[in-house]
Amino acid sequence: MRLTILGGYLGSGKTTWLRHQLHAGAFGRVHVVVNEAAEIPVDDALLGGAEGPTVLAGGCVCCTAGADLVKALRQLCDRRSQIADPSQRLERVILETSGLADPAPIVALLQADPILTRHIVISDIIVAVDAAHGLVQLAAEPLGRRQVEAADQLIVTKLDAADPAEVARLQLTLRRLNPGATVSGSVMGSATTLPVPPIGTRPADLPALVGRAPAPLLPVRLSLGPDPDWSALGVWLSALLHARGDEIVRAKGVVRTPAGRLLLQTVRKVVQPPEILPVDDSRDGLDNGIVVIGRGFDPNDLRLSFQHFTGVAQS
Amino acid sequence: MCASCGYPAAPGHWTEAGAATAPDRLRARFRRAQVLATALKGSGLAAYDGGQVPGIQLSTLSGAQTIVPNLEALWVEAERLTGAPIDPLSPQFLIPND
Repeated sequence: MRLTILGGYLGSGKTTWLRHQLHAGAFGRVHVVVNEAAEIPVDDALLGGAEGPTVLAGGCVCCTAGADLVKALRQLCDRRSQIADPSQRLERVILETSGLADPAPIVALLQADPILTRHIVISDIIVAVDAAHGLVQLAAEPLGRRQVEAADQLIVTKLDAADPAEVARLQLTLRRLNPGATVSGSVMGSATTLPVPPIGTRPADLPALVGRAPAPLLPVRLSLGPDPDWSALGVWLSALLHARGDEIVRAKGVVRTPAGRLLLQTVRKVVQPPEILPVDDSRDGLDNGIVVIGRGFDPNDLRLSFQHFTGVAQS
Repeated sequence: MCASCGYPAAPGHWTEAGAATAPDRLRARFRRAQVLATALKGSGLAAYDGGQVPGIQLSTLSGAQTIVPNLEALWVEAERLTGAPIDPLSPQFLIPND
């Protein structure tokens, strides 16, 4: 069963986006779990078109209400296992987090649970960013930045309500904060093309929040060569995450091993169990590499170190 | 999972996912021991994996030995024994390895 984590700052348009996507049938057979930090749930009243929703109110699942989330997801797994016909089974769970949630601890929480880790594959982390207020939030809130950094997909919402110049600046700022994520736009939840930023637009300079300014994230692509050595990759990456887990925000890649094509994904120090992907010959040139996104290191050092451990020359 | 004792609590460690058959697994363990020797060079620690018992044996120069279940636990233990984490970005690893 796949899990999509939908995050974004308070009022960034998560529910609106999700409501439209559900209405358009984008996710197939899906169950929605909504988390609200407040005691009185509102969002569930807005969400139709999906099974559920399960509402977890009165606490944020990334910290105080973690146990509730685990319980709710275990129930879903249990119910799913009792359905014999695969075509009737639940395909996906969407977890709409509260605006105060950091996606990374949620991933860690699900992995630490012995039942959920066997049933649930976290397929993507989608984060909504308000086109009009995004820049202000990113400038002031460490949480807003952590959410953006953890995302696979960033959706700039409420495009119709924002100044195009601001949107262009926001777009570039998001790309700089998280170069690994795709950025798309939406109006009332339906996908809208983002305007191409005019030449000369500069990303906003985000002020330091505590102490010195965090360096921007850098993506580094590392190649494993035609005959990848998973053992060497494992030794290197596990040591790197142990020593510098807070600086390596994300690592992602597809590696062909004797056990199949493995999808490797990490969120900070947490590595998800590698998922075996179907064989796809069209991706010949793209497999057998990993992208490491982080800060606080020289990309060239990373390449040299990787070469030292795996013996594969990096260009 | 065993309902009474909970073993194994988690599926195999991610670093061991690259091999599915028994011969592949053994080969991967030997290769892992080889790469570990590179990683631990100069730290005063040595790792040994004979392929017979589960886990990796980690020993110090003074002869203290411990068995760790996987690489993640190994780095934690190595940091405890040497006082600092083994950092792949430290200068000794930034030169070609022959």
